[in-house]
Amino acid sequence: MRLAIIGFGFLGRNLLKAIWEKISLLRRIDKDFLVVGVANSKGYIYDRNGLNIEQLIISSDLTKHSGFRAKSAIDLIKENLCDIIVEATPTNIRDGEPGLTHIRLALSKGIHVVTSNKGPLVLAFRELMSLAEKNDCFLLYEGTVAGAIPIFSLVKECLQGDRIIRLFGILNGTTNYILSRMFFEEISFEIALKEAQEKGIAERDPSYDVDGIDAACKVVILANALMGRDVKINDVERTGIRGITQEAISLAKKANYTIKLIGTIDKRLEVSPRLVPINHPLCVHGTLNAIHIETDLAREMTLVGYGAGKETVSAILNDIITVLKKRLQATS
Amino acid sequence: MKFSLTLALPDKPGQLLRALEPIAKNGGNIISIIHERDKPIEGYVPVSLVVDFLSHQSFRKTIEDLMNLGITIMKSEEVIERLRLTLILVGNMDPRRVIESGIEEMHVINIEMTRSILGEVSARLEIEVPVDSVEKVIHELKRVVVEQGAMLIPPIGI
Ligand SMILES: NC(=O)c1ccc[n+]([C@@H]2O[C@H](COP(=O)([O-])OP(=O)(O)OC[C@H]3O[C@@H](n4cnc5c(N)ncnc54)[C@H](OP(=O)(O)O)[C@@H]3O)[C@@H](O)[C@H]2O)c1
Repeated sequence: MRLAIIGFGFLGRNLLKAIWEKISLLRRIDKDFLVVGVANSKGYIYDRNGLNIEQLIISSDLTKHSGFRAKSAIDLIKENLCDIIVEATPTNIRDGEPGLTHIRLALSKGIHVVTSNKGPLVLAFRELMSLAEKNDCFLLYEGTVAGAIPIFSLVKECLQGDRIIRLFGILNGTTNYILSRMFFEEISFEIALKEAQEKGIAERDPSYDVDGIDAACKVVILANALMGRDVKINDVERTGIRGITQEAISLAKKANYTIKLIGTIDKRLEVSPRLVPINHPLCVHGTLNAIHIETDLAREMTLVGYGAGKETVSAILNDIITVLKKRLQATS
Repeated sequence: MKFSLTLALPDKPGQLLRALEPIAKNGGNIISIIHERDKPIEGYVPVSLVVDFLSHQSFRKTIEDLMNLGITIMKSEEVIERLRLTLILVGNMDPRRVIESGIEEMHVINIEMTRSILGEVSARLEIEVPVDSVEKVIHELKRVVVEQGAMLIPPIGI
């Protein structure tokens, strides 16, 4: 299979590194596996015989690479030059672009899509899933929610007979870091936020994280993918963590609770600060994420892991391998 | 829904079975029964039961049937299961307004609060609420708190 990576930023690069490290595993699954294209916002490079991955990993500027074409990634997808794309362009929840166009185009041409980009799925989950089905190809998105935690694969593969009744989760690492620092160091929200910004954990404009928008996007994807809902971001009631005082956390602590930003999928969809008992499996700290599900058969289950960062590559690579294996199964 | 019943039965054989019949007939499921035969009071034995009925109506019918059999009912009431909840309130508000808001079925057990230099209040509230009313009480409480421009932080799963 010929793979193209659309979006060659933090994740795209780390993914390519992982592919290089795991190339013999990938070739054992598919002896014809090749990375044929890599695109960023300025253009792309393409080689039908496979790009030199080792060289690409160390080159810092794609535009200086020999064979760089200052053309849109859309052309790379349009010209049937690949069988599978990894869509890792920036998340945009206003109109989903450029990812939405990339994913729509790929699926409509029967190209499999693996993505870590939440925007298109938040805005058009049902449309994209049915487009994938219609064109008999995969659309996998494990990296979009809770980074390396394999929640979708777990439910799809291991809880096939279960019905998920409720879900709670710590779905944003930045806010969890801030709340954890407030809990352990007894510092204010403002100081914890500043510290997170200095460490590169929070953005300069932190509203996407601290106002719960990022977590709400993940609630939408989880509800649509795991619980058969058809919901949009406006269906999520949302309260962020700006109002949380250090005193509130201390009072919670004295009663053996802590305050976490929790995404809830129940009768209602909600992202809001909640009290979590300190001995509850969801009570994880730092940038960790956690998802707690309640199902009819297995009852309760909690997954904990890294919700962002290069660990996310694990989820993307697993999705790629799933496509390789399933496609080979189908053709043999 | 559970009901607690105390009957006074004559200290004679067969009385307990006779009293249990209307309960079974009305679909009551006996959860516990204490029959203190060794403690008769003036020829009567107290029997305390906790029974699960599907409705208030079947409970009322049972009481009626028991009375028709001439059985003395010393006590009969619904057993209300209560949940104790811890909540946090934050913001520029007066916690007394929350306590005195008169939210039905909410019983405040304890409150601890601090006020920052800027006047912002953080409070921990412990309340007791009938299990069946948790959702309603939290909804009401949230409305009162938000009306004052503050934030209510309930536990997960509520
Ligand atoms: N970072 C994480 O830990 C993480 C975890 C989970 C999910 N995600 C999601 O994964 C996606 C990628 O994240 P990231 O951290 O790798 O972002 P990033 O570092 O900002 O990289 C984004 C890449 O997309 C490229 N791009 C932008 N517009 C494009 C276009 N029209 N056509 C082709 N490429 C385009 C950018 O090109 P230039 O290099 O030319 O700017 C850049 O290479 C985002 O949607 C993010 O929300 C990230």
